[in-house]
Amino acid sequence: MAHDFDKLTQYAKSFSGLTPELESFLIEAGTEIKPKLGGITDSFYEHLLSIPEAKSFLEDRVESLKSMHKRWLEGLFTGPYDPAYTEHMYKVGDVHVKVNLPVEFMAGAMTLINNRLIELVVDNFGDNKERCAQILVAISAITGMSLLIMQQSYQEASLAEELEKFLKISGMSRTLFTNLAAAYK
Amino acid sequence: MRSDMLTSILTDLNGSSADIEASGVISTDGLMMAAVLPANLDEDRVGAMSAAMLSLGDRTAQELARGDLEQVLIKGEKGYVLMTYAGKEAVLTTLAKPNAKLGLIFLDVKRAAANIAELL
Repeated sequence: MAHDFDKLTQYAKSFSGLTPELESFLIEAGTEIKPKLGGITDSFYEHLLSIPEAKSFLEDRVESLKSMHKRWLEGLFTGPYDPAYTEHMYKVGDVHVKVNLPVEFMAGAMTLINNRLIELVVDNFGDNKERCAQILVAISAITGMSLLIMQQSYQEASLAEELEKFLKISGMSRTLFTNLAAAYK
Repeated sequence: MRSDMLTSILTDLNGSSADIEASGVISTDGLMMAAVLPANLDEDRVGAMSAAMLSLGDRTAQELARGDLEQVLIKGEKGYVLMTYAGKEAVLTTLAKPNAKLGLIFLDVKRAAANIAELL
C-alpha cells in the first residue's frame, strides 16, 4: 500500500506543533547534546531490561538495538524532519508490529526517552531558562511527532494483519472482501 | 448474449414458483453477473454478501467436517435466502417468501444452478 508521507508529515506536525523555529532549536542544541546521547541510550536499555515484559523482546539483541537507537536519537537533533524521516519512523512502527511488540511499549519507551532528554537539557541549558524551555518544547514536539507516526503505522499494520487473519479463516478472497467493502461505501 | 441467457434462466426460476421473489447469479468474487431482483435491492450488496456467505459456508462445512458445501440457507422472519454454487466460479442466490415450500424450491434451484454452470 502506497503512503503519502508528505501528508502524514504535515498531519503529525499539526498535532505535535513542530514548527521550523522549533526544528532550528533542535539542530542548534544538537551540537551540545549529541555527544551525550550514548549515555541516554545505555540508561534507556538498562531501564527496559528491568521491566520483565520488555526484557523478553530485547534479549540477545540489545547491542544492535542500542546502535539503531543512538542513530535515531542523533537524528532527532540533526533533521531534516521531512517525509523521509516520517517514512523511516513509519517503518519502525511496522517492524514493531512484526515482532508483536505490545502497543503500549512505544508510548512507554518514548516517555522514558523524554524523561532522560529533559534531564540532559536541564543539566546543559538550565542556566538559560528561556533557551532551556525552547529546547524542551522542541524535543516534546519531535518525540510526539515520532510517536504519532509510529502509532499510525502500528494501527494500519495491525489492521492489515487482522484482515489477513480474517480472510484466511473465512476463506474469502481479497477481491471478494474489496467488493464487499465497496458495496457498503 | 451470455448475460441474456443467464437472465432467462433466472426469469424461468422466478416463474417456477410464486414463492420465489428474486434471484441472481454472482461470481465467487462477489460481482453480479445477472439478476432478476426487485428495485429495492442493491445489486452490488446482494452480490458481495451472497459470495461472502457462501465462502463462510464453505469454510464452516470444512471446519465442522460436513463435506463439500451444497448450499447455504438463511431464514428470516420475512423469508429465505438460499445460496447455491452454480459451477465452481458462480453463486446462485434465491430469495423466497417466508411460507415457501422449500422442497420444491430446492429442486428448481438445483436445476437452474446446473443450467447456469453449463452456460458458464
